[in-house]
Amino acid sequence: MRNLGLVALREMREGLRSKTFLITTLVTMGLVAAIILLPQMLGGGTQNHTVGLVGDGSAEIVDTAVRLGNAADEDGEEPSVAIETREYASRDEGVTALQEGEVEALVVDGEEVVLRNIGIMGSGVTGLLQQAAAARSLEEVLEEHGQVAAVVIETLTSDPLRVTTPDGDADEEGGQRWIVAQAGMFLLYMAILIYGSWILTGVTEEKSSRVVEVLLSAVHPWQLLGGKVLGIGGLGLAQFIITIIVALAAVNYTGIEIPALEPVLLGNLVLWFILGFLVFAVLFGAAGSLASRTEDAQGVAMPMSMIAVAGLFISFAALENPEGTVAVVGSLVPFTAPFVVPVRVALDAIPWWQYALSVGLAILGIVIFVRIAGRIYSGALLRFGTRTKFRDAWRSADL
Amino acid sequence: MIVNLTRPMLVFDDLHKSFGDIRALDGCSFQVRPGKMLGFLGPNGAGKTTAMRAVFGLIRPDSGQVLWEGRPVEKDTATRFGYMPEQRGLYPKMRLHDLLVYMGRLHGMSKGDAAASADSWLERLGLAERATDRVEALSHGNQQRVQLAAALVHDPDVMILDEPFSGLDPIAVDTMSGILREAAAQGKAVVFSSHQLDLVEDLCEEVAIINQGRVVVEGDVKQLKEASPYRRLEIDFDGDIGDLAGALDGVHDLVSFNGHHQLTIDANTDIRQFLARAQETGHLRTFSYTAPSLSDLFREAVR
Ligand SMILES: Nc1ncnc2c1ncn2[C@@H]1O[C@H](COP(=O)(O)OP(=O)(O)O)[C@@H](O)[C@H]1O
Ligand SMILES: [Mg+2]
Repeated sequence: MRNLGLVALREMREGLRSKTFLITTLVTMGLVAAIILLPQMLGGGTQNHTVGLVGDGSAEIVDTAVRLGNAADEDGEEPSVAIETREYASRDEGVTALQEGEVEALVVDGEEVVLRNIGIMGSGVTGLLQQAAAARSLEEVLEEHGQVAAVVIETLTSDPLRVTTPDGDADEEGGQRWIVAQAGMFLLYMAILIYGSWILTGVTEEKSSRVVEVLLSAVHPWQLLGGKVLGIGGLGLAQFIITIIVALAAVNYTGIEIPALEPVLLGNLVLWFILGFLVFAVLFGAAGSLASRTEDAQGVAMPMSMIAVAGLFISFAALENPEGTVAVVGSLVPFTAPFVVPVRVALDAIPWWQYALSVGLAILGIVIFVRIAGRIYSGALLRFGTRTKFRDAWRSADL
Repeated sequence: MIVNLTRPMLVFDDLHKSFGDIRALDGCSFQVRPGKMLGFLGPNGAGKTTAMRAVFGLIRPDSGQVLWEGRPVEKDTATRFGYMPEQRGLYPKMRLHDLLVYMGRLHGMSKGDAAASADSWLERLGLAERATDRVEALSHGNQQRVQLAAALVHDPDVMILDEPFSGLDPIAVDTMSGILREAAAQGKAVVFSSHQLDLVEDLCEEVAIINQGRVVVEGDVKQLKEASPYRRLEIDFDGDIGDLAGALDGVHDLVSFNGHHQLTIDANTDIRQFLARAQETGHLRTFSYTAPSLSDLFREAVR
């Protein structure tokens, strides 16, 4: 145990001091922040337009357009749409201004929209103006029947249809759980690929630098492998937590509401995150020991990456049909369970006995994989030169 | 404490190991005694590295075992062993001091002891100023020194070094020799393999010569030489050497170059008449009569 801890500690210390860790941390933090903040910066905030007006009836259309565009806004928010207007005496004057780029569109006599070229047809403002004009005609018709304009606008911007699924109402909470399960799955997938490949190259580097022989003279192969998995896993977890904190901060900044998570669901996600990481980390370590050079390592690890991708796809299938055969089998196989089970839990579609069985099988799988990996590791680590075949490593395991 | 210098401490007991069709070890047996440095000799592919790896469980022998104080060596007792593998290697990105502390701790030292020992080794090897440099920043020679320190930082009782002198410059050879001599003088069991027989002759009291996986000669160097059935006779002689040698019994080999002649003769051959005759028939300037060198023993053993 002592050696296991020492190996893990070394991995963490050296990892923390390496440029790679610093850079990947900064890059993922930047990426996550950008992914969350960019849509807000680009799409969010206020859409600003400048529209030219000619003749009677044009100003009313623009007014209506602004009211329509902002009808769904909540109090105190920045308006979604703001339209600046410029008046011109004649159509020709307006067209000249349009061509010089002073305005992006020109409304003439409340009957025509002139654009610079047809390419920007359907640009935000055109659609809005069309809707506004339609609403105004409606208003005119309805006003004859004594209706008021405000009611029209409210009606036009409401969602009168109830949205359901075959399971019943698409309640908001269920949707949020679903999103959380999806996010957790992608996080796991990313973690497996990123930190799995750290473990992979770490093991290969020990082999290619030949330091492994001195190490193994004092340490059992399973300690070396286990320490690496724990050390790099710990580092990865730290980086992950940092990233998630950054993500939450960014989300908070945008003002998007964070779905409140039930503790059980969160605990389930964390449990499967750890189980999934361990399953794959051990396999990546074993794969790394088969390669002698860093260049070979990715090739050797191909099957592991493929399995992770397969897990992701099976979890999509589980989303479609959470109680189907694929989902059930996927929950029981340790490689795919970390992807499938959280989804089924989020959809409330897994019986407790299947859940218990899948956790048990995953843990059993990890124990078995550590032994298999330890054996491959010991059989392959002292074979330098070419890539070691799985079978040869298994046979010549000596440690 | 009284160290019983004759009690064998590290015993290689009838090791067998095959890799497929290759018999790397085929009944390899010898003993390393504390305080007596042992040179482990043998041609390439004889099985030296395989035997040394067996000590640390890096290969599992098909049969036979390595005993330390009468018990099979386990990973736990291996903390009292120091190993310098033939395939040198350190973490290239680690800082020297950190690396040595790590190695010390893996061999059971406390953090404080390991740090103190790392400092003293760096001092001793003249690398104190480079303690925070990364391994990869060092020259080849200095990396070799660090490799030695990594093997010995935990002050092991048994040192197993696989070709520690290969690739060293003469200064580094002296450093290495000094360290090994000192360790043996402290009563440690030291075994190293080497092809540099002069060096082995200088350093080692004992040798084991392995050929095709089997130890063919083992024991005290001086005694082995004495026990050799051959002697080496060298003379500087102007005259008819063929005639002279023909009159001598038990000549096994004669090499002549420019008036210098080397004869390999039976140990019990009486050379007094030979010398007298040499003085009569020509001019005998020098002569030496010695036991065979280690190289001679080696060639004889692996022939
Ligand atoms: N891991 C291995 N796989 C296959 N053959 C090996 C392996 N290790 C050593 N050998 C073979 O065993 C024999 C002894 O090798 P070795 O112990 O390295 O000899 P030495 O160190 O005396 O040069 C050689 O023929 C070598 O090719
Ligand atoms: Mg060798």
